[in-house]
Amino acid sequence: MADIITPRPGGLVESHRSFDPRVILFYFVLAGLLLTLAIGLAYQQLIKSDYYHESAKVQNQRRILIPGPRGNIYDREGRLLVGNRARFAVTLYLDELRPEFRREYLRIRNNYREADDAGLPSAGQIEILARHSVVQRYLDQVNRIIDRTEKVDSRDLHRHYLQQRLLPFVLIEDLTPEEYARLYEQLPVTSPLQLYTSSTRYYPYGAAAAHTLGYVSINNAIEASEDFPGSDLRTFKMKGAIGRNGLEAEFDDRLQGETGGIIYRVDPSGYRVEPPLEKRTPVQGGSLTVTLDIDMQIAAEKAMGELGLAGACVALDVRTGEVLTLASLPAYDLNDFSPRLGQATAAQINEQGAWINRATQGLYPPGSTFKLITALAGLRAGTITPLSVVECTGAYRVGGRIFVCNNHRDRGDIDLLHAIEKSCNTFFYHYGLATGPDAIAIEARRFGLDDPTGIELPHEARAMIIPDPAWKKERRGEPWYAGDTANVSIGQGDIAVTPLQMATVIAGLARGRTNISPHILHDPSRPVQNPPRLDLPTSQLMPFYAGMQAVPITGTARIMNTPFMKIQGLTIAGKTGTAQKRTPKGTLNFAWFVGYAPVENPQVAVAVMMEGDTPGEDTGGGRFAAPIANAVLKVWHAKQAAPAVDSDAPAPSSGP
Amino acid sequence: MPSPRIDQARPYLTLGIVLLAWLVLPTVFKRVLRVSFYELQAPVEISFSYLRDLQDFWALKTRSKNEIIEAARDQARGLGAAYEVTLQENTALHAEIERLETLLRLPSQVDYRSEPARVVLRDFNAWWQRITIRKGSTQGITVGSPVIYAGGVAGRVTEVHAYTSVVELISSPGVRIAATFEGDTRPVGFQGGVNAPFVAPRGRVEFVPLDIFATAAQPRRLVTSGLGGVYPPGLALGRVVSLETDTDGLFKTGGVQLDPRLGELNEVVVLVPLPSAP
Repeated sequence: MADIITPRPGGLVESHRSFDPRVILFYFVLAGLLLTLAIGLAYQQLIKSDYYHESAKVQNQRRILIPGPRGNIYDREGRLLVGNRARFAVTLYLDELRPEFRREYLRIRNNYREADDAGLPSAGQIEILARHSVVQRYLDQVNRIIDRTEKVDSRDLHRHYLQQRLLPFVLIEDLTPEEYARLYEQLPVTSPLQLYTSSTRYYPYGAAAAHTLGYVSINNAIEASEDFPGSDLRTFKMKGAIGRNGLEAEFDDRLQGETGGIIYRVDPSGYRVEPPLEKRTPVQGGSLTVTLDIDMQIAAEKAMGELGLAGACVALDVRTGEVLTLASLPAYDLNDFSPRLGQATAAQINEQGAWINRATQGLYPPGSTFKLITALAGLRAGTITPLSVVECTGAYRVGGRIFVCNNHRDRGDIDLLHAIEKSCNTFFYHYGLATGPDAIAIEARRFGLDDPTGIELPHEARAMIIPDPAWKKERRGEPWYAGDTANVSIGQGDIAVTPLQMATVIAGLARGRTNISPHILHDPSRPVQNPPRLDLPTSQLMPFYAGMQAVPITGTARIMNTPFMKIQGLTIAGKTGTAQKRTPKGTLNFAWFVGYAPVENPQVAVAVMMEGDTPGEDTGGGRFAAPIANAVLKVWHAKQAAPAVDSDAPAPSSGP
Repeated sequence: MPSPRIDQARPYLTLGIVLLAWLVLPTVFKRVLRVSFYELQAPVEISFSYLRDLQDFWALKTRSKNEIIEAARDQARGLGAAYEVTLQENTALHAEIERLETLLRLPSQVDYRSEPARVVLRDFNAWWQRITIRKGSTQGITVGSPVIYAGGVAGRVTEVHAYTSVVELISSPGVRIAATFEGDTRPVGFQGGVNAPFVAPRGRVEFVPLDIFATAAQPRRLVTSGLGGVYPPGLALGRVVSLETDTDGLFKTGGVQLDPRLGELNEVVVLVPLPSAP
């Protein structure tokens, strides 16, 4: 209701109403607008703030991941087999050169202007020129100090500038320690030129145990641990390493270092702003201690190398199954893979056929070493007894085919002991046929020859073959012939096993048991393995073991008993083998030796296989494989006799 | 007549104009001005230095001549004998080095000329530790020349003026030297630490191989390696009193105890590199 004002005489009349509908409406509109603003503000500040905060963070923060060095690998005596070496590089922080880039840009622009802009490039091209010019100046400064003539790769620089501006630009990699020392002393602490240290794999023994240790390759996709913040940020990654073969691949998770990193705030141009918001130092990965004895490994590879043939050598601790030696030749120098393998070296390795680990991946006919299995099958089946005798005339007729004894020798009456000692084929043709292919195959499977050993190494062969009639029918659709049995009896025909498998067989036999499981990770408290016993009467096994003991003395490996090779104080038992295989080059021989020592208390078993490289050449097990086993056993025996020596190598750290 | 308000603002106006003029002045002019100022100021500091020397002289004058002569003679006898032995050793070592260099066809190490100099001024703070010495470009001193004293390496010349030079001491974080552990040949890195004044100076050693050990109880002597191209080999830097393996497992890093005499230097020797023979 409007108030009524009494007008004063002669004065102005001032009147208003207590409310004006239009003003009220205006208030409402105003209040509505303010409310909208307030709600909007609250929405943005309270509800959307996290979103904006995250957006801003993602936009102006960058994360750099730095790989942690890989863990070391030690042999069973604590000697370093695989470590890391520092790799020194000189780098340039581009973000500190912005004023110089700008000045150089103006200088180049002015030069063109003075030349009436003849051939004037675009602004972008001038920027590239300016950057190249400035960076080359810094590189020249480095060149002067270390007496080099390096040039900046313009494309590398441009790519780096566009994609990895936050990371320092590497000018020279792999500086020598002397060059590093010069730069360390002569570059000012505050210079944009800085020295960068990274790690790369280092193999003190070069090519030793190359296939077992394995190699690494560059890993561009290193990952940070889950608790390292900034997974949503734009991330730059330094190059790491990933295991590609051998132990490096099998235990990659354990060896991988813990990735470190830095989170920087960046300006709108993408340059970092010091100091970093978050920093975490990379941590070295866990270490491994493997069962290898590097002395035995080197002895094996040296002896094999002297023959100049491809081959494999495995030595096992017969009690625990720990692998003391796992050699395969030809090999390659692991240091060639660090930091990356060159094309020429890769081609050379390819040409030599050195990629394959012949000890675990090579499948070969075991030749006469398989006669041990045939003998056990016969003893178990009762077809062979200690009194079994065959007259060896140097040849044996099976059906319409003549099978020759080794060297075509006429040996007269041969029993089991001498059949093993002299590796008489006739004896095993005869009793193999009597025993039958199924019983032989069952015995071979009892020793696990149809399955991978399960050693902790990648890519172990899985296609081993223990043939029997059913296998031949299924695989080839052909019937089994007596000739097949004769072949299988002496380890020929389709049988294919790895040297590692034969090592597990002889290690088991050394203790009167079936095969043991090999292990490559050293465990000082690893229990003694107790696979099933042979379960044959001792009286029957006597000639079997006596035959093996005679092999290195008077038998096919008697070379081990010669004065220049005999290991004084060590008794050895074993069996040689010489297998033939048809190849595109012709029929090649494969020399074998399997054995163990000491006879009275077996502790170590060895299996050696050497590939002949010339068709028709007599690459026999006695001449080509037994000496290698002898070299390995010699080192082993010397260590048993010698007192324990403290190792100078750093103590291996325990793995995670 | 200017209004009082403008009149009061005149000093600020003048200051502004001066600052503006300073900003727009060419860099070369400013540098010349700065150097000239330093050269004008230097004689004052040098005079003070001479005065201190005079003060020491008169302090010695309070002693009898006989006392001084006896003290000096005793000291000289011991020193003379020691120097004689060192001289003989050095001659033999020099001959051996020359023989090996010839045998291995190695270039000769840089030769130096010694230039003794008195310390004029000490400038110590957390960020740098410098001294000013009473020799400059007139005596042939160049930037980068190594500086030594009785305890080993003192530092490196960073600025050279006509009659004075500024030396950054090895206790300063801006100094890096390629070093080695005495008895070892592998290069390691030495860098001065952040040292507060009046505190025993320290540095740090990095890139130390893992098989080297040092503790406070069994410190290892750190010397120059000669590989860096600035310092001759074998000069003492300090004693490594701690070493710890880095988290990346590649190297060790540790602390270096420097000679406390670094903080009270009176005289140093600048090693001026001689031009190599053609």
